[in-house]
Amino acid sequence: MSSDLDPDLDLELARIIRAPRSAVWRAWTDAGALQQWFIPAPATLRVERLEVRPGGGLVTSFSEDGAKFEAHMDAVFLVVEPDSRLVWTNAIDSRWRPQNPQPVALTAEISFLEHDEGTDYRVVVRHGRPEDRKRHAELGFFEGWGTVTQQLAALVE
Amino acid sequence: MTNYLSALDTVFDSLADPTRRAVVRRLGRGPASVSELASDFPMALPSFLRHIRALEGSGLIRTRKSGRVRTCTLEHDRLAVIEGWLAEQRAIWESRTDRLETFIHDAKDDQ
Repeated sequence: MSSDLDPDLDLELARIIRAPRSAVWRAWTDAGALQQWFIPAPATLRVERLEVRPGGGLVTSFSEDGAKFEAHMDAVFLVVEPDSRLVWTNAIDSRWRPQNPQPVALTAEISFLEHDEGTDYRVVVRHGRPEDRKRHAELGFFEGWGTVTQQLAALVE
Repeated sequence: MTNYLSALDTVFDSLADPTRRAVVRRLGRGPASVSELASDFPMALPSFLRHIRALEGSGLIRTRKSGRVRTCTLEHDRLAVIEGWLAEQRAIWESRTDRLETFIHDAKDDQ
């Protein structure tokens, strides 16, 4: 699952949640549930579209005061495997138009695996390269970046 | 967050040039004088100095003049903004997972 992760850009987390996979799945795929935990209070989330199927939209808006709502996320599901895996990205919007969300585009892969104590919940987030929005043609920077960080590590250790 | 992103922008703007990236890579190996650095690049010294000033302006390098020699040093803290950004994304997802867990447990208690 994570063999292709780039440590400079991607993050991975795992948590055992003491509830059945179906319950964790429902928290992600039921609009009423999702809006209760996805963003921190006191901001409120409103789920505009939640079409849990490959190619379906995941569109949310949020409000600081509960009255005026602003666009929050306009994403699309790539993979939907009930009770087991959800993958969505905001690199294209819910109408399948390529977009450049701030600060960078990401793909989130959420896995709900069977575990003795409930659900082995895993998140992998792959980020676009932050400088892509500036210079699409500039390639090879991150390669250089990796070298610099290695050299830095060598210097400071 | 906003300050953070603007710091990130400044760093990436500064590094959006191959010469400046090469200078940063070179300085990752240790401090070097401007003339030492300039000898690696096929350009006139004034053009090269503009790159040095851009890097200095973004805070990625520091320069110090001693006698006739100006020495450039990499600013590690400034480079760290990239790692900091990823750490921030991780914190967002960790706390999102905390809330998911709490939500599921509360929902279960209600049943």
